[in-house]
Amino acid sequence: MTRRIKIDPITRIEGHLRVDVEVDNGRVSDAWVSSTMWRGMEKILQGRDAREAWLFAQRICGVCTTVHAIASVRAVEDALKLQIPANAQYIRNLILIHHALRDHVVHFYQLSALDWVDVLQIPRADPGRASSLAEGFSSWTRNSREEMKAAKDKATRIAESGQLGILTNGYWGHPAMHLRPEANLLLFSHYLQALEFQRKASQAVAVLGGKMPHIQNLTVGGVANAINLDSEAVLGMEGLESIQVLMSEVSNFVHGVYFPDACALAGYYPEWFDSGRGGDRYLAVPDLPRDAQASQYDLPGGYIRDFAADSSSRSVRFMDGRFRESVTEDVTHAYYRGDKALHPWKGETIPEYTDWHPDQKYTWVKAARYEGQPAEVGPLAQVLIGYMQGHALTRKWTDAALDRVSSIAGHRIGIEQLRSTMGRHLARAIRAAVLADLAQEHWQMLVDNISKGDCSTHNPPTFPDGEIEGVGTHEAPRGALSHWVVIEKGKIKNYQAVVPSTWNASPRDKNGVRGPYEAALLGTEIADAEKPLEALRTIHSFDPCMACACHAFDPTGKKIGTARDL
Amino acid sequence: MKRILIAGIGNVLLQDDGFGPCVVRMLEARYRFESNVEVADLGTPGLDLADYLMDKDCVILIDSVKSEQLPGTVLLYRLPEILQRQVEPRMGPHAPALTETLLTIDLLGAAPAELLLVGVVGHSYEMGCNLSQSVQLSVNLAIAEILRELARMGVHFESKQSAAEPDLWWTKPPVCRGAGTGAAGE
Repeated sequence: MTRRIKIDPITRIEGHLRVDVEVDNGRVSDAWVSSTMWRGMEKILQGRDAREAWLFAQRICGVCTTVHAIASVRAVEDALKLQIPANAQYIRNLILIHHALRDHVVHFYQLSALDWVDVLQIPRADPGRASSLAEGFSSWTRNSREEMKAAKDKATRIAESGQLGILTNGYWGHPAMHLRPEANLLLFSHYLQALEFQRKASQAVAVLGGKMPHIQNLTVGGVANAINLDSEAVLGMEGLESIQVLMSEVSNFVHGVYFPDACALAGYYPEWFDSGRGGDRYLAVPDLPRDAQASQYDLPGGYIRDFAADSSSRSVRFMDGRFRESVTEDVTHAYYRGDKALHPWKGETIPEYTDWHPDQKYTWVKAARYEGQPAEVGPLAQVLIGYMQGHALTRKWTDAALDRVSSIAGHRIGIEQLRSTMGRHLARAIRAAVLADLAQEHWQMLVDNISKGDCSTHNPPTFPDGEIEGVGTHEAPRGALSHWVVIEKGKIKNYQAVVPSTWNASPRDKNGVRGPYEAALLGTEIADAEKPLEALRTIHSFDPCMACACHAFDPTGKKIGTARDL
Repeated sequence: MKRILIAGIGNVLLQDDGFGPCVVRMLEARYRFESNVEVADLGTPGLDLADYLMDKDCVILIDSVKSEQLPGTVLLYRLPEILQRQVEPRMGPHAPALTETLLTIDLLGAAPAELLLVGVVGHSYEMGCNLSQSVQLSVNLAIAEILRELARMGVHFESKQSAAEPDLWWTKPPVCRGAGTGAAGE
């Protein structure tokens, strides 16, 4: 029997996502992913001064402000072939790292954990045993019996009052939920702690970038921070020390709570390493430049052409020239005029809404393609690429994660199994552990460089009369982000942002090839078509920056059930 | 001393959704507040709103709201109404997740004791950097509501002798073109 499940907009976080899933004999047999909201903010930038593009780009998404701001200044600097001072690189890197760490932690605890944690099981948990369980995973100081008991009391009060508040729409008692009560309690107590922690990461960004959530310290050519070790008014030793304190707190939480929790969850749900695999192609852009010239990066980029093939035919290294030539956006199935795949510098954004037609146009997201093919972006892509290149920190944390998960699951989970719903969650935690280590390193590089007497933070731009083109990339929390700009006499002539969700939530292209979300949903087992939680788990594993809800439909279109974001 | 937040919510690139940021920037340009009052343009923070609301005693939010009333109408909502109405009132097209955020920080016991939402009914949420005329006319109404609320709470503020130019950088020319119009230079 075939049923169709529709995942529809619900208010939660920025943007709206709809996923239609066809379920045949308890498994997803086809999927269509669409965004119900048009952004196309790039149009607003045309004709503006290239130096202020980042201010507008920062407003594209209220959750990913810094991410777009930095990709934007990098695009203009690339067009100008303008190098920025080493201090500016480090300051930008520290901002990007702390934004990412916060984003990953929020994703795990606030946006995903309740897909797996059954809060209504907590009243049955033994706080002492939950504490021992937690202490077996890490030496975090807030794993005591008292902490667990306080969290249990809170959950019990909520359950008994019937006033579930934010927990009202959970999938309590769903057959796909099977953590034991103590594991539910442990993760719930950390869910509460994460809410307190996440502000620390924002504070670290604010010390460097100014009042959040919109940083103010960027400028084409570097950063606007003035550096003077003896001054309190500008970035000096006091500011650097306060960043270090916040950075250590963030790092302790990532290493002591988030990473062990992600490993534990994965170990308890090992069957989710067999679901949600998706396509064979992965793309990541290099990031965290180590010097003014960006001659070396601390996060490797690359492209895996075919993971399933033997390793000799995998193309892994990032090649800048190839990247510039290989990105296109296809609008065959998107609500824009035309049916061609265009390079972003030649990109058009001319809306042509036609309602939802799965065989024709059905989404506002363009189909981003690399060498004409879809590619998954995000922490999974980054971890696979880093691992295959032998990137030391990625290897260290990936091996540590897989050892932990395998020991909890009771059988070996290998690197290839990261290509799955649970693998994406684990890869995000691996990436966070890598970034927490790199934060310390980039802070030290900044301090060392300043101590050598280099206080420069900005190289002023000069715009030529002719037309110039540039691309700015950033390996954002959700994956490869690229801003493409064409500038004439200092004014913006064309601007396209190819965002991570353009890659992952992409629709089919002119050849009918599905995007990564669509491909990953295929084969997902659905235990209860009236509550298709499993489809939501796979979508959430990508960390969509859009909210979604599932509605189950039978073949005639009659609604039979609902699952949605809390 | 009570910790007070006055925050504008909304996307400045979506016409009337920029009402909240516009109001707080006008407010900052005209009035001086004591150090316990934080005035912020928060954009569209989604659940990140939690960071700013936690451990505040009183919060005044300014946002566009969805309503059947005429564009430009200013509507006031208090905390219990927002919590009881779950996803109502629906906050514009960008879903700032206000109810969800409040319920979440309520779990920690860190939700503000008092909250006033000053909402304006928008006319257009198409791409663009300027408020519709009817909504623009309500900016001063919203500021008056904010000042009334501050006075009710006994919070001190004073007019600046010479009001500064509000920093509404996104409204500066080139004039934004609406959705679907042609290339630059038109």
